[in-house]
Amino acid sequence: MALVDLISEEVVKVPLSSTDKPGVLRELLQILKDAGMVDDYDRVLEAIYKREELGSTGLEEGIAVPHAKTDAVKSLTIAIGISPQGIDFHSLDGKPSQLFFLMLALPNQSGPHIEALAEIAKLSKSRAFCNALINAKSAKEVVALFRED
Amino acid sequence: MVYIDGTEQSITAAQYAVCLARYLDAGLSALYVVNTKALEDLVRARIFLREEEEEYEKDLKEDARRYLNHVKELGQKKGLTVEVKSSMGNVRQEIVKIIKEDEIDLLVVGEISKIRSRRDEFYDETDRAMRSSPCSVLIVKDEDRVWELYESLE
Repeated sequence: MALVDLISEEVVKVPLSSTDKPGVLRELLQILKDAGMVDDYDRVLEAIYKREELGSTGLEEGIAVPHAKTDAVKSLTIAIGISPQGIDFHSLDGKPSQLFFLMLALPNQSGPHIEALAEIAKLSKSRAFCNALINAKSAKEVVALFRED
Repeated sequence: MVYIDGTEQSITAAQYAVCLARYLDAGLSALYVVNTKALEDLVRARIFLREEEEEYEKDLKEDARRYLNHVKELGQKKGLTVEVKSSMGNVRQEIVKIIKEDEIDLLVVGEISKIRSRRDEFYDETDRAMRSSPCSVLIVKDEDRVWELYESLE
């Protein structure tokens, strides 16, 4: 399954309203709950926090990729949030994170989960593309950046 | 040879491949590639920690075993022996390598994304394998129809 298949306007939020790390994680998860992708909000949040305890998923250059595997989701799913002003996500380079990709998968979907995460890793290398996402004004614009519409 | 990646689409492809092999009296093999290249990329990008890489590699090997067993059973139910194999590395390269080594005539894959992207990064491994395959490729679509076809096979 390609990453573009997982991205629709209902799983994208521009801009995020949260101003701190726990708030962002809750807000991203709420997007997926509202989209009907999450069965048990609290259990998924716990899985995300558990992963963050091992080390922050805030990477360099304003990108964060929180992720977890849990049986409390319906299938492989992603939420994208953008915060142009940036949020302290305890990133590797200490810079505020602006682009958030929350990815959740069922434990028996490791193959598609890893492929989708690898696609995010590739796109994070493109500064121009990331800047275009950060400057997007709407969810529709974000989806259009991924697709050839 | 049918490529299995743990998606429902690849299982549908396996059902169709079983039907095809039976109709044509052909041999069928099934391949799962443990995508260690992606795992390495994720560690390099610092999305994964080393312990996650190890954990997910175990998960992928277990997925390979489970899904290939399932395909084997799909064949057995229809009186066909499916030769299963798993390998590790870069998915596209492994598929191409095995097609050449085993002199595969036809690669059968599950449905690929309907959505086109302007960026090459967003094409998945099945899509890349399809484009690089040295042999003909069959893309299987319509899960319901394929299921009927498989079920009706004596």
